[in-house]
Amino acid sequence: MPLTARNISSLVIDSLCDRAEEDNIAVAGLYCDFLSQQEQTTTNIMGAILKQLVSRGGIPDHLREAFQKGKKEFGGRAPRLADLMGMLKIVIASLPQVFICLDALDECLPKCVPELLESLRDITRESPRTRIFLTGRPHVREDVQRYFSKAVVIPISPNPDDIRNYVEMRLDRDTEPEAMSTDLRVDIVRVILEKISNV
Amino acid sequence: MRWLSPLEPNNRHQGVRTERFDGVGNWLLETTEFRVWGCSEGGADKAILFCSGNPGVGKTYLR
Repeated sequence: MPLTARNISSLVIDSLCDRAEEDNIAVAGLYCDFLSQQEQTTTNIMGAILKQLVSRGGIPDHLREAFQKGKKEFGGRAPRLADLMGMLKIVIASLPQVFICLDALDECLPKCVPELLESLRDITRESPRTRIFLTGRPHVREDVQRYFSKAVVIPISPNPDDIRNYVEMRLDRDTEPEAMSTDLRVDIVRVILEKISNV
Repeated sequence: MRWLSPLEPNNRHQGVRTERFDGVGNWLLETTEFRVWGCSEGGADKAILFCSGNPGVGKTYLR
């Protein structure tokens, strides 16, 4: 996923967290990652969101009961998606407003994307005040719009100043500065910017 | 809590945060779209803000 999108997701999460207390909102956020695809199932993602939301207050009774019940049978059964969605809806409805951020939707397993979007749509139908921030490569836009026809889409493209600053910063932190010359440095920045403008 | 999910998104966020390059993406927070989305007005119609971006300047590329 582009540097910019992940950067932006973490900025959004932080900016929401900054106003969480004052505005009485709850924030949950998750970064999808190619490397964790097998683990990042819809069930685990929804479970993680639930976990983040309940960790601010005490564990609600209905959740404790579900856990005790699961523990008794078959030596501890993990909750299924439907169970988690039930619990999540109750928790979200009990909070004034919930913000959910999911970074790099396209890095989930492709088969998870529709299920994930459907689950999110379920939540917004149940609690219409919920706000969801998503990032992803342009090809998942159609998937998003299939479930949320009124989704607001903002294209993010890296601007050359961002890239230049980033490259300069990386060069400043070079672990072998003696191998670098001013000319080489100028060349590196120039070539990277050229390549990016051709993407 | 681990029963709910093995994923630990809070740890991941700390990691991403630490590596965040300051100044990149601040413009988004200033857009009308973001502000409208972030306020509590409006119903489910206003629920989704989707930022779409192409790969090509990924960290991997620059590393």
